[in-house]
Amino acid sequence: MPDMSKFADIKIDQAIVKRAARGDAKAHEIIYRAFATPVYSICLRFTRVPAQAEDLVQETFIEIMRSIAKFRGEAALGSWIRRIAVTKSLMYLRSAWTARGQSLADDWDEFTAGDAATLGVSAHPDDALDLDSALANLPSVSRTVVWLHDVEGFTHKEIAKFMGKSESFSKSQLSRAYQRLRPMLQQANEHTAADAEFIRSC
Amino acid sequence: MTSDKKEDEMIYGLTMDEREALQQGLQQLPETSPPRVVWDRIRAQAEAEGLIKRSLARRPSTWYTVGLAAAVALAVFVAPGLMNPSEQVFPTVPPVAAVAEKTPQEKLRALQVESRQIESDLRSLPDDPRVMRASTAATIHELEERIAAIDYQLNDPGAQLSPDNEEIFWRERVRLMKTLFRLRYAQAQRTAF
Repeated sequence: MPDMSKFADIKIDQAIVKRAARGDAKAHEIIYRAFATPVYSICLRFTRVPAQAEDLVQETFIEIMRSIAKFRGEAALGSWIRRIAVTKSLMYLRSAWTARGQSLADDWDEFTAGDAATLGVSAHPDDALDLDSALANLPSVSRTVVWLHDVEGFTHKEIAKFMGKSESFSKSQLSRAYQRLRPMLQQANEHTAADAEFIRSC
Repeated sequence: MTSDKKEDEMIYGLTMDEREALQQGLQQLPETSPPRVVWDRIRAQAEAEGLIKRSLARRPSTWYTVGLAAAVALAVFVAPGLMNPSEQVFPTVPPVAAVAEKTPQEKLRALQVESRQIESDLRSLPDDPRVMRASTAATIHELEERIAAIDYQLNDPGAQLSPDNEEIFWRERVRLMKTLFRLRYAQAQRTAF
């Protein structure tokens, strides 16, 4: 699958990376300025809590500073940074799940029918079209899988490895998330058709 | 249509067009930038750990440290005569990343919400492990003592506190809570993995 992530669009000069590897503060600041937004966005998508996302950004960039001397440039810098951000975020989620005494698999079990009402399948069409809130209201595991697969372009094999699960687990989570998001897509299509009909009638 | 695509449609319950529309929608969702202060924190930690070279031209961390020390001193030693018997009503709005350009009351409210959020995060962590490093235990104890001292001042019904001072107390409380959360989180990770 092609790399659809916004990380892939960010290019950093090799000279900056070398300076960063020597501990140059300015070079690290340049790298931070370039990647802070996509890193924060991914952390925020996974955790949904700004304060936690900020902490994860901090952990990610501290890890970058610790490890950049070992970065050989075999993969793009963006891919390497994204992997660190994803790993940190998943470690956080895993810890939160562990703290609640749950496994990754039963995240859906606590997702009740009552939650579905807040999920974009709302009576209000504007709510239903709100992909952002629909995504945010998915259970953590499914939201993470959807984001890793559909936005970051990771394969099920890679996602399974990240999560310490099987490929079928990743596929199953994606399938369940799609089932939840589907009504919203259908409403969006109906709106598009209605708009087209209205334009034709004018 | 290839058999792979048919199989995908069966597995996911979405047509290829629907999946494409969904993926496009997700990829077009807006990104969010972190608050400016995050880089200051990263830089301070990196300098403390010796990961980056200190800049001779720029020493913001000195002022930062002095400011925080002053806030703590204020919280612990000065406050009894400054307190306000105002009610501690927690607002229900979510924390907002951008607190710039807000009224003092809004800033205070945002800090209270953030503080409450961190408390909730702390509660979600596992209990303290039975065995922990003495230095970690001492640091946690010190942080909890400092937070308790601030809480005492904030909740003293006989005190009167100006909005500015109240904000300093709450800001310091949030900072201490964040430090405590990071420490407890790191500790939980060590025991979980």
